[in-house]
Amino acid sequence: MDTILKIENVSKSYTGHKALDDVSLEIPRGAVYGLLGPNGAGKTTLIRIITRITMADAGRVLLDGKPLTAEDVFHIGYMPEERGLYKKMRVGEQAIFFARLKGLDSREAERRLRAWFKRLNIAEWWDRKVEDLSKGMAQKVQFIATVVHEPKLLIFDEPFSGFDPINANLLKEEILGLRDRGATVIFSTHNMASVEEICDHITLINKSRNILSGSVEEIRRTAGGNNFEVLYRASEEEFLAALGNLATRTTESRGTVGGYTQTRIHIPNDEDVRGVIAALNDRCNLRSLNEVIPSMNDIFIRTVNGTL
Amino acid sequence: MKNIYLIISREYLERVRKKSFIIVTLLMPLFMIAMMVAPSLVMLYNTSDQKQVVVVDRSGLIADNLYETPEVTFIRETGMSKSEACNIYNAESGIFGVLYIGETIEARDSVQLITNSSSSMMLEENIAAQIESIVEREKLKAYNIDNLEEILANIETNISLATYLNDGSGEEEMMESTSTGVNYILGIVLGMMLYMIIILYGQMVLTSVVEEKSSRVIDVMVTSCTPFQLMMGKILGIAAVALTQIGIWALLVLSASKFLVPVVFSADVVAANDMMLGAALGTITDTGYLASLFVYLTLFILGGFLLYASLYAAAGSAVDSIQDSQQFNSIIMIPIILAIIIMMSVFNDPNSPIAFWSSMIPFTSPIVMIARIPLGIATWEIVLSVVILYASFVATTFIASKIFRVGIFMHGKRNSWRDLWLWIREK
Repeated sequence: MDTILKIENVSKSYTGHKALDDVSLEIPRGAVYGLLGPNGAGKTTLIRIITRITMADAGRVLLDGKPLTAEDVFHIGYMPEERGLYKKMRVGEQAIFFARLKGLDSREAERRLRAWFKRLNIAEWWDRKVEDLSKGMAQKVQFIATVVHEPKLLIFDEPFSGFDPINANLLKEEILGLRDRGATVIFSTHNMASVEEICDHITLINKSRNILSGSVEEIRRTAGGNNFEVLYRASEEEFLAALGNLATRTTESRGTVGGYTQTRIHIPNDEDVRGVIAALNDRCNLRSLNEVIPSMNDIFIRTVNGTL
Repeated sequence: MKNIYLIISREYLERVRKKSFIIVTLLMPLFMIAMMVAPSLVMLYNTSDQKQVVVVDRSGLIADNLYETPEVTFIRETGMSKSEACNIYNAESGIFGVLYIGETIEARDSVQLITNSSSSMMLEENIAAQIESIVEREKLKAYNIDNLEEILANIETNISLATYLNDGSGEEEMMESTSTGVNYILGIVLGMMLYMIIILYGQMVLTSVVEEKSSRVIDVMVTSCTPFQLMMGKILGIAAVALTQIGIWALLVLSASKFLVPVVFSADVVAANDMMLGAALGTITDTGYLASLFVYLTLFILGGFLLYASLYAAAGSAVDSIQDSQQFNSIIMIPIILAIIIMMSVFNDPNSPIAFWSSMIPFTSPIVMIARIPLGIATWEIVLSVVILYASFVATTFIASKIFRVGIFMHGKRNSWRDLWLWIREK
């Protein structure tokens, strides 16, 4: 795996509580990487350590294998959770200011910004003052200011908070577009739906510790744990007899669907799945058998509660 | 460097474009003029009612010689005792009070003013002066001098002192005429202006840092430039605003001195009036001299502002809100206020040791020095003061940047002086 950013054994304490406890993770180049966790888990602290706003007590952050420097940070695109824009300044002017600070010349900055403003439907706000913007619009401006210099590493802290579903979707598309053009994107969120749709990899942080890391697909498959949902028509005794030693029923009957009984079973060994299907098919009028893949939301809740 | 320039121009444009900047810049000279004119206007119109005083004179010398002034008239009561007069002319009578003069005037407690309401300094002085001169004349009469009135009128004298600064040329015409009165006022105006600008613009730096911190723009900024660039950008940007303002004032004052004043006060008006006014107009119409003062003013304002601005920036970085900044703010104010107090004493003797040293020590030097300059100060002193000032600006900026570097990242914690000291020493 080609790693762009590596976090090694990072710890951080504030007076009275530990914000991060020996957290390590690797972020693959070109991925959309989600930092998940409940409120107060330490996501923002981790991001602030990566952007060198906060210094870690222990551990280090490596960019392309070398310790991250202040100069590196100046090329990262970073959108903080608490959005910061100069309120009295005009929107367009402000965006140009940030773009130039990131190294674009003023003409190039304006050209790119005009295009971005059009794309995110805020072109008519170019000459307005920031204090006149709604929260969502200010956030779009902030997003544009973060990405306009096309950094290779982008960090968003809770990018979707404050957006309606339509605009959240718009932003998702843009984030995926940035990844497709070669950027690596890290973002923190507690909105699981967005994770399933756009993240390639995640790390789940809870109570200052990294409790789950990996690709989204892998995690869901592992968390699925060979659980299946079946629809059949037979007596309970017959059904249990058909399962035999190969499978166990995990829930009582969940009611009937069109005359068929619906229930869940667990098949510990992958190679037994065909055997179970055959037995059910022969003796229980099997209608369907589907693997149950948990949503990230389930995984999140179960992991945090320690039941996974 | 490019980042500093970007931050400077952002800070500058944001402020200069504000309507309030334009209004303040244009109104301030009017305000200053009003400040100077107001005291004399108050004096002019603050004529209180003429007061009536009943005189009970047991010496028989005074009562008839007291004369009426705009402040007071006298009602002579003969054959009435002090207590009788006080009883009759009480508060309800509408009389201001009773002046009682004992038989031996110069004895202790012999002359008394018993008033029905609070007395006034002016009135007391007026009455005392009248009685003194009456008694003096009576004493003179005892010498039996002929034509006494004539002689007294004859010896009355008024002197006006013209002062020149010796420039070594030996020719009076070449010497610069100096009028302490005019230069005194000029010194105060310049000193006050510096004081105001340092505080006003220094606070602006502090506010700007605190706002940036509380609005969290700082997070975006520090991931785009170094804390030092941010601090210097802010300080220099606001300094540029101050210089713009002074530049506009200089332009207004100099063009008024060149074109407006000579027309309004023509030469014969000046000739008809006293020397003080003449000297004042001489100074005001000496455009070259005023221009040189503005150059000094700019030098000291810039130096003084930069010195204090770095401290204000450090203070702003260490707090989360303007309210919290008070503890640092008040300490920064101490030397500034001290400078104003010293400045006021400077006019008694512009070359006293305290005046000299306080215009060398950088924290008081800009205000004290600028106030001394119109009084005629050796050039080497001015140069030395400027050099020390700018050197200490570099030093305070260095220290302030160390505090700033740590302070801007601190949130939600009240920082003490001890914390600041630790940050300075941090590598």
